[in-house]
Amino acid sequence: MRPRLKLAALLMALALLCTACATDYERRGDTSSTLYIGEVASAFPTSYMPWFSRDGVAPTISSMVYSTLLSYDQNTDEYEAKLVKEWAYLDREGKPLLTEDGKIDYDRLEAEYSGKDTACIPIRFVLDENATWSDGEKVTVEDIYFTFDLAANQKLSNHAGALAWVNDLLHKYDTQTGKLRRQGIYTYDTGANEKGYPISEEEKDTVFYFEVNKVLGAITPLVSTVLVLPEHIYADIISLDNPINNTSPSEELSYAYQHPVGCGPWILDREKTNGQEIVLHRRADYYLQGENGDPLYKVDTLKFILYQEINVAIYALKKGHIDVLDASIAANYAKLFAQEKDVWVASASGLYTNCLVLNLNAPSDQSTPAREQLKNPTLRKAIALAIDQEAIIDFVLDGHGRTAPAGLVLEGDLYAPNADINNAPVEERLKEANALMDSLYPEKDEAGYRMADGKRLSYQILAAPGEQDVVSFLQVLFQKIGIEVRYAAKGNSPETTYLYGGNFDMTLQGVTLTPSNVDIMMNAHFSNLNRSSNYGRLVDEKINQGIAVMRSTLNRNTKYDMVKRLEELVAKQYYKLPLYCQDVTSVARTDHFTGWVVDDGENAFNMMSLSQLKKVEGR
Amino acid sequence: MNKGYVVKRILYTIFIFLIVTTLNFFIPRIGVEDPAERYYPPQGNMSDLEYNIIKQMTRKQYGFDVSTWEQYMRYLNNLVHGDLGTSLQAGSPKVVDLIADRLPWTLVLSVTNMFISVLFGMLYGTYAAWHRGKWADRLLMNASTITTALPAFFLALLFSLYMGFEWEWFPAYTDPSLVSSFDWSAQAIRKVAQNAALPIIAMSIGGIVSYAQSTRNSVIAVSNEDYVVTARAKGLTTRTVMYKHVLRNALLPIVTSLGMSVSGLIGGSVVIEQIFNWNGMGTLFLTANNTNDYPLMMGIMLFLSGVALLGNLITDLCYSLLDPRVTVGGGRR
Repeated sequence: MRPRLKLAALLMALALLCTACATDYERRGDTSSTLYIGEVASAFPTSYMPWFSRDGVAPTISSMVYSTLLSYDQNTDEYEAKLVKEWAYLDREGKPLLTEDGKIDYDRLEAEYSGKDTACIPIRFVLDENATWSDGEKVTVEDIYFTFDLAANQKLSNHAGALAWVNDLLHKYDTQTGKLRRQGIYTYDTGANEKGYPISEEEKDTVFYFEVNKVLGAITPLVSTVLVLPEHIYADIISLDNPINNTSPSEELSYAYQHPVGCGPWILDREKTNGQEIVLHRRADYYLQGENGDPLYKVDTLKFILYQEINVAIYALKKGHIDVLDASIAANYAKLFAQEKDVWVASASGLYTNCLVLNLNAPSDQSTPAREQLKNPTLRKAIALAIDQEAIIDFVLDGHGRTAPAGLVLEGDLYAPNADINNAPVEERLKEANALMDSLYPEKDEAGYRMADGKRLSYQILAAPGEQDVVSFLQVLFQKIGIEVRYAAKGNSPETTYLYGGNFDMTLQGVTLTPSNVDIMMNAHFSNLNRSSNYGRLVDEKINQGIAVMRSTLNRNTKYDMVKRLEELVAKQYYKLPLYCQDVTSVARTDHFTGWVVDDGENAFNMMSLSQLKKVEGR
Repeated sequence: MNKGYVVKRILYTIFIFLIVTTLNFFIPRIGVEDPAERYYPPQGNMSDLEYNIIKQMTRKQYGFDVSTWEQYMRYLNNLVHGDLGTSLQAGSPKVVDLIADRLPWTLVLSVTNMFISVLFGMLYGTYAAWHRGKWADRLLMNASTITTALPAFFLALLFSLYMGFEWEWFPAYTDPSLVSSFDWSAQAIRKVAQNAALPIIAMSIGGIVSYAQSTRNSVIAVSNEDYVVTARAKGLTTRTVMYKHVLRNALLPIVTSLGMSVSGLIGGSVVIEQIFNWNGMGTLFLTANNTNDYPLMMGIMLFLSGVALLGNLITDLCYSLLDPRVTVGGGRR
């Protein structure tokens, strides 16, 4: 027995020795201009269908391989050239509505179309004649017509996202027959001149027109979300039997998904890409260039490495296996890198205001005494006053965050100072909150909690496991005004099971309102009752009307003023109560590449960083 | 082996499998009127009109536009033809293909782990039982307490941190090119061994201790039987007593636990696979769960159930082989 045991142990030790010659990590020995990016996800996609973005990294890859018509800069509220080099709204005589310095003339746009008996606004686009697909073919107006026509046609695209993106494009198919009901895209070959949109022979490959709804925000998803597809690849393989995003794609369609041909600055290396890593190379023939004609990016290759566990990814960065982590990390992890040489810890301002949402209008079948109490605006005001954002940021976020106003917009063109109504010192707010609570629920139990109809005032906060610390801190804050709150775990699909159904007392929700999304999100957060982000089902006629008018105005400046007034109305509802705006903490190494840039709401691996990165000499 | 017993066991397993397939069919249909809502949950800003169009598309795409009975028949027909449906992942890959891609990699970990756990566990357990109360036995008792308190994923994280990242004895996580570059060459096999070492060590420590513990207990119980005392009294060597009389009879509970762990062979290492980036079934299931990929989840569940039932069937058959007194429903004769 004993010799056999020894023999087995010896064999085991030998086997371990044979394998225990740890390989060196590729990054360390790689002197090429390759950026190693850690991705935390459960899997990498097996194919790259441009519009299908369910999987974590897929939209990032698609946006690098493919291209939209324009890009939208949230900070400046301006559109930047991509496939399209020029564009303009047109007046009713077909002249561009531009100011002298070439910007959109919103005053004339409003004067031309607001309230007038016109069905749509025409827009003229000019493609960059140098734009090419990664297989060398030129990008033409046929690609544009094909893409947007496909997105609008449910019979062929079968893609919910695409349908929503082109909602305001007046190019409509009949849902039953699948026939084109109204044309809204015009090129030289598809009747532009006949329709009164002039395109000369010389312009026929680059000029096209869209007809869109009379909504200022109509343009944004169209030009900055829809990735343009190569007509020469997809036209012959997409059919009624084989639509894009179909559950049984043909071999040709599968091949097209797996070998993407895009017009973006990067190209997928199919040979080196697998379920664990994705390799992209910079296109040498990319038509857009940086200053002085330099390439837009100085990194030659991007290697995305899959990590399924965030801690493993963080250690991989610490040990130099990767250059950057494409994920934010908990603020307390920043301490792990405090003494590390060659590691840069970035802290970018967050864009989301994390709110406590109160259910103030539960449907009758979900109504409870607690939810009935929340209909009272005085109680909601007391709850809002008891929230100490500074303390939450200090104790829960370790100081990595900033406070948010009651109007929920943090800064910029949409910030409304008048909506910032809860900014008195904490002690004063608490005093006022308790005075309000005394007027409503003077009776208290032995633990100091207030009583309503002989029962303790108690609410559940529906939250994710990662948000338990916030809920715990809210327990402390609300105890000060005699309200008990308890954590309730969100299920797998809270939207379908609890939130849309109104089956909750309170919940946590991130809200971001920006110039590009107010048209949609104001309505979704504060007006729409159908499966929208208006979880607590706010119904306020003044707000509803204000949103409707704001959405239909064609003057941007007027629109922004209206949004600010709406913020004031929303703040006074005490419905979505701001808790904090968390900073985005992330890490990158500086021993192989330098030039990392902080961009609001983004981690260290962002497109601005990518355009600035430079390789360290000799590494 | 009793032929009637074997036939009855097989029929029983098929019957249970049919129940499992039916339950599996109803998973996306539980709690919702329209299973299309499970496949495509409502999105934040969609109007009712848009969402109804999408549900209509989804119903057509996944065959929910016919009666439930017809769907069930279609589902069974597909199963008979080995079709577990298509995943919701980009490109709509076949569930069977996804499972087939991942299964071998999971088996590398789990079969090796089981082999090491059973072999070393039984050897050590027998040794500890034979030297009851001595240092080897005491070590086993302590190890058992520790491994019960420390779950495998915690050990995995520790091993990854120290043996992987800090000391660099083994790769801290799987080389991203492992799967794509595998070509059955000696170098590729060595690379697999290198990358699998830490996960297998992390998994097998608990397994060894567990098998050693049950072997020890079983051996001690059998050692006190009259026939073992008689064998010793007859003057048989320790080795003969141990292998011919004790171990064979002590094997029954071990075979049972071995059979029970067959289902865990495929689905039981989710967290370990996740920590070490191992491209196996566990992470596939995790992906399906995280992305609400119901067809994939259903496919994996059915596959795991099938493997578990097969494991139980094999256990029962082995049991009757080891102990001919075993009958269906009647325990021992």
